Amino acid sequence: MGRIQKYARIIGGLLLTVALLMPAWAAPARFAGVTLTVFTQNPPYIAKPVQMFAPKWEAATGGKIRLVTAPFGELYTKMMSAFALGTGVYDVVIFASAWLGDFAGNRYLLDLSDRIKADAGLKWDDILPTYQQTVNWGGRLYGLPVDGDVHLAYYRRDAIENPKYRADFKKKYGYDLRPPQTWKDYRDIAEFFNGWDWVGDGRTHYGVLEAFKRGGQAFWFFMSHAAAYVCPPGLKGCLFFDPETMVPQINNPGFVRALEDWVALVKLGPPGMINFDSGDVRSQFAAGAGALAKDWGDTGIVGSTDIKSVVKGKIGTMVLPGSSEVYDYKTKQWKKLDRPNVAPYLAFGGWVCGVAATARNPAAGYDFCRTLAEPANSYVAVTTSETGFNPFRFSHFRDLSGWKQFGFVEPDLSSYLKAIERSLSHPNAQLDLKMPGQARYLDALETQLARAAAGQVSAQSALDAAAAQWERITNDLGRERQKALYRDWLGLK
Amino acid sequence: MIHFPTPGRSRETARPFLFPAVALLLLFTLFPFAFTVALTLSRVSLVGGLQLQFAGASNWVRLVTDGRFWTSVRNTIAIVLASVSLEFVLGMALALLLYAPLRAGGVFRVLFIIPMTLTPIAIGYMWRMIYDESIGPLNAILREVGLVPVGWVSGTHMPLVSIIITNVWHWTPFLFVLLLAGLRGIPTEVVEAAQIDGASGVQIFRYVLMPMLTPTALAAVLLRSLEAFKIVDEIFIITGGGPGTRTESLTLQAYYVGLLSFDLAYGATVAMGLFLLVVMAAMVFLSITRRTREGEEHP
Repeated sequence: MGRIQKYARIIGGLLLTVALLMPAWAAPARFAGVTLTVFTQNPPYIAKPVQMFAPKWEAATGGKIRLVTAPFGELYTKMMSAFALGTGVYDVVIFASAWLGDFAGNRYLLDLSDRIKADAGLKWDDILPTYQQTVNWGGRLYGLPVDGDVHLAYYRRDAIENPKYRADFKKKYGYDLRPPQTWKDYRDIAEFFNGWDWVGDGRTHYGVLEAFKRGGQAFWFFMSHAAAYVCPPGLKGCLFFDPETMVPQINNPGFVRALEDWVALVKLGPPGMINFDSGDVRSQFAAGAGALAKDWGDTGIVGSTDIKSVVKGKIGTMVLPGSSEVYDYKTKQWKKLDRPNVAPYLAFGGWVCGVAATARNPAAGYDFCRTLAEPANSYVAVTTSETGFNPFRFSHFRDLSGWKQFGFVEPDLSSYLKAIERSLSHPNAQLDLKMPGQARYLDALETQLARAAAGQVSAQSALDAAAAQWERITNDLGRERQKALYRDWLGLK
Repeated sequence: MIHFPTPGRSRETARPFLFPAVALLLLFTLFPFAFTVALTLSRVSLVGGLQLQFAGASNWVRLVTDGRFWTSVRNTIAIVLASVSLEFVLGMALALLLYAPLRAGGVFRVLFIIPMTLTPIAIGYMWRMIYDESIGPLNAILREVGLVPVGWVSGTHMPLVSIIITNVWHWTPFLFVLLLAGLRGIPTEVVEAAQIDGASGVQIFRYVLMPMLTPTALAAVLLRSLEAFKIVDEIFIITGGGPGTRTESLTLQAYYVGLLSFDLAYGATVAMGLFLLVVMAAMVFLSITRRTREGEEHP
């Protein structure tokens, strides 16, 4: 071999080696050596997406994810104490947007507005405006939405559409059996289907499934029932406080009637329903126990996709029923309506991924949150079982292939997605409370709701006690400050 | 010649060696207690770090006018009185059963103490499933034999009874072990002498065993009662304190108020309320036992 050929081979080999190593040199691991501590709820719900996408993020960035979890009931306490005491143990937190008031209001989270604005790949405009608001505090963005929450009503189509049951129902109640348009319909249908074998499998089945347990998310189950009674279209502050005075509204006649009607449902469900939490509602509905249920999107998902579900293909989903009378807290009058007042309730507000102000590597923290929130990954998360993430982008509703792969069948799928879209775009949709002390207000009301459901006190006494507690909390946290923040949240000057 | 230090001088030289133990005691016992008392007299803010503002007796006023607190007091006292009484009776029965030599007595001893070795959380979950009104085995058995299923955790009074049953199942072995040890500590000659004198089993128990067992029994009941006042884990798992607040104990209320509601000052006040209740109960108990002993010494 000539000398030229020898050198050509050496140079060629060197060039080939450089070409093969170029990608690694050109794209060094961005967060090599960075360990992010991500804190959220115990798996599977909410932690599962972290477990799903962490390996992909680690491979792409060189960073490491350390997932720390706790039961839902302890999340707020652990996050709040870690932030307030400045321990810096968590870099990224996935939390209820309702807590944004406490976290963003006290500057415990990083302002991500500029990063979001500069991030075209995030496709911020694809996120439903309602959920864009869930991370907004004082005009700045303190997290990325990773979940969309709204309460829906579910019904067993096979029961509601059964001709014999329709005839029997009409005979008993004087109107047609159909998916409930009002909470009165809801109660009548629950009563009709309670305590007998309307499936024909030899087992007793029940009317309705609701969560009444304190600490089992009963607050949201009650508020989604009450909203239609107390929120006529356009009335700001109907659900929580009078924005002029910060006087709690939760013990006004509208709420009292809502609580009396809600508590009456205790006897129209399975034995022990007074101790049900939202998880029980989902599993019992999928097991075929109830004709009606109310819940976030999870009941629809579990019912349609769990391999043990006996209700797949039989689930109707709808916007929450309304009320034919609504109480106006400003005029202190009840108003009878020709058409039911519907007020879909964005219960819980959705989970949010935020970066702690004490995070050692904020860029890495944002990057991981973005991994969860970006269009492709979030679509996978909302169409995968047990993630607890529900649709929050326009694109989630357009592509049906993922849903079908997930296990949804028609007409359940169309019914499910339409109900969510209609709820979110409804002109009278009500946002969940988002201000400092939200967890305290919630716990105070939920304790009294549990006492009313247990028959320990009347609905009025329970709500009066809760209202007194709310006054105390407001004064503790600073009345004028709370009022300013509440008005700001409502969009009032 | 061996030189022994004089007692006074050895005490003086020993004092510095006690300081580490005293310091640890102060740090881990008295300081948290004092801080808790301080919390009860404060308003707490977590904005910008933990901040305490003197609030006088407002938390205590709120405590004594809080209906939920008195419900918790009633629930706690009911659990303590019912549970400890039943545990004592059952524990004594099991101890007497194994007091006399019994074939395979060792096996029974092990079986009897198993509940005490399980963690309260595991016991809570196990009994929660047992009490489940739709699919639990208890109601399934009742339905099978034609009886009406019971609302174990959803009725008015039954949930508290269910908690007591669970607590008795869990802690009877504790009293069994102490009482059996107490019985075994009684000299056999005394019992034999009574038998020779023609005393029946009941008479031996009443006039021989029980008087000699009294100090052990009182100590066991006191220890168990003090522990029972703090019940929280089984209630938390089985009923969460519900329905409503029907099974909420003082410790559980302190947890909910202090750590879930984040009302740290009032949660500390509820906890101090429990402390005062336990102190009062212990004083009443000791006063009764002192009078009983004085009555025995000077009949």
